Amino acid sequence: MENNLGAAEDAAARLRDLTADRDTLAAGVTPPRALVAAIGALAACWVAAALDARPGADYQSPSWPWLLAGLLFVILHLIRRDTGLKFRRLGARANGAIALAALVCLFLFSVSLGLVSLGLGWAVMITSLAAFTAVYGLAGVAFRAAVAQLRAVPHA
Amino acid sequence: MPEPRFDEVVHPPTRLRICGLLRPLEEMDFAVLRDTLGISDATLSKQLKILAEAGYVRLAKTTSPARRDARRITWVALTPAGRNSFDAHVLALQEIAGTAPVRPD
Repeated sequence: MENNLGAAEDAAARLRDLTADRDTLAAGVTPPRALVAAIGALAACWVAAALDARPGADYQSPSWPWLLAGLLFVILHLIRRDTGLKFRRLGARANGAIALAALVCLFLFSVSLGLVSLGLGWAVMITSLAAFTAVYGLAGVAFRAAVAQLRAVPHA
Repeated sequence: MPEPRFDEVVHPPTRLRICGLLRPLEEMDFAVLRDTLGISDATLSKQLKILAEAGYVRLAKTTSPARRDARRITWVALTPAGRNSFDAHVLALQEIAGTAPVRPD
């Protein structure tokens, strides 16, 4: 009887240790602000690419924004190296924030194209700034949600 | 859901904690793992060697441009066999502790 109780307490303590370790890990990870800001800067550059486009019937999208996609992969790699963590899953909240950031960028790019077609190219500065702010904020939310999700993952 | 199975390789406290931290991640930096566990390089290396010999973890070294010397970043990951053994072991612990989830028939 005592042996059974001792084993049960020992097993429960081991399981509590696992939870405590995940809490320690999640609490110790700080978002790499400079790299998150770099993602925001990429979004701003992409929205500003509307200035290089020719909106209208003979629309031609600029080709150089593909370079931004390459830079995004480099930044994501640097975030992994900086934090020392490669996530298996980001979780629903983080994926939602990423999807929302993509939608905001698409919307702001469309608005920028409209502004350029109206001859208001200078106003693209405002949409670019909005893209930076939105993506910087949402990327931070996604990162924190992914880290918080480490706590929520069941042990088995 | 795997069947509960007590695993002698996973069971020692430090090895169980290593597996618990690696379980939700694809890979983890050796230094982050060491700092989170609060143990020495030597202790972690010894435990990882045992887990690697059992086929439960894999280690990969990459160069670091941030470092001017020859030191490298070591990434640690659970293998599929390691994940299965850890999951089965945790289920066994939950059964012993009386906190096991209800299993469908």
